[in-house]
Amino acid sequence: MDSKAKMELRIPSVLGYEKLAMDFAASAARMMRFSESRIEDLKTAVSEACINAIEHGNKLDASIKVGISLAVEGSGLRVEVHDEEGHMIEHVRTPNIEEKIERKDAPRGWGIFLIKNLVDEVQFESRPEGGNIVKMIIHLER
Amino acid sequence: MNRDIEVVIRTRGDTSILDIKGDLTTNTGRIVEEAYQQVSTNGAKKILLAFSRDNYINSAGLAVLITITAESREKGQTIRVTGLSDHFRKIFNMVGLTKYLTIFPSEETALDGF
Repeated sequence: MDSKAKMELRIPSVLGYEKLAMDFAASAARMMRFSESRIEDLKTAVSEACINAIEHGNKLDASIKVGISLAVEGSGLRVEVHDEEGHMIEHVRTPNIEEKIERKDAPRGWGIFLIKNLVDEVQFESRPEGGNIVKMIIHLER
Repeated sequence: MNRDIEVVIRTRGDTSILDIKGDLTTNTGRIVEEAYQQVSTNGAKKILLAFSRDNYINSAGLAVLITITAESREKGQTIRVTGLSDHFRKIFNMVGLTKYLTIFPSEETALDGF
């Protein structure tokens, strides 16, 4: 794949459309000959970043888009997911399964945790034009 | 029926089995919860969640499984899991669900000694 090529996809802020982004990223990773296990990691990380952007960023407003961009970076893939209206989400508390099983905490809240554990590098930033962007790098092998 | 997921309830011996095919997400979690409530109401104490290798489970789907696991502990039920892909076995382990749910490689091994 051309290392200068940047690929972009825009999806409406509707749950379910994150699967398009997953398949988009997985197709690029297959072209780069990622292992199947890394492709699965990538799919989950992209899915969770999109779900956050759809739900917490764009507040499920179908008229606002979530943008996904892919670019080759060394032997890895750089993936950026941005919303239009989100706020910084990096500093959410690390979820604790015991608290959730004992119903001391809500069962949800795993998205950021999964992203951090599945990709090699991740940054959460505010965009100057508004909204939040998640920048992830995933390498061919781990 | 939601076309993104299919849940079939069957029994083998005294074990209630939920065959779960498709996507376990915000949009479909209610269907799995309803199936669990149905077997629970019928008095099930042993429940096997039988996934398929092409399941897509996101963080909202994990939350549904956590809710079911929490309720099962309160009701004295035991839940076993089978059919997960290597990736989702890793995810279950990552979030800590494997502290509460035992994952088996096949339905037969899951039922053995259950």
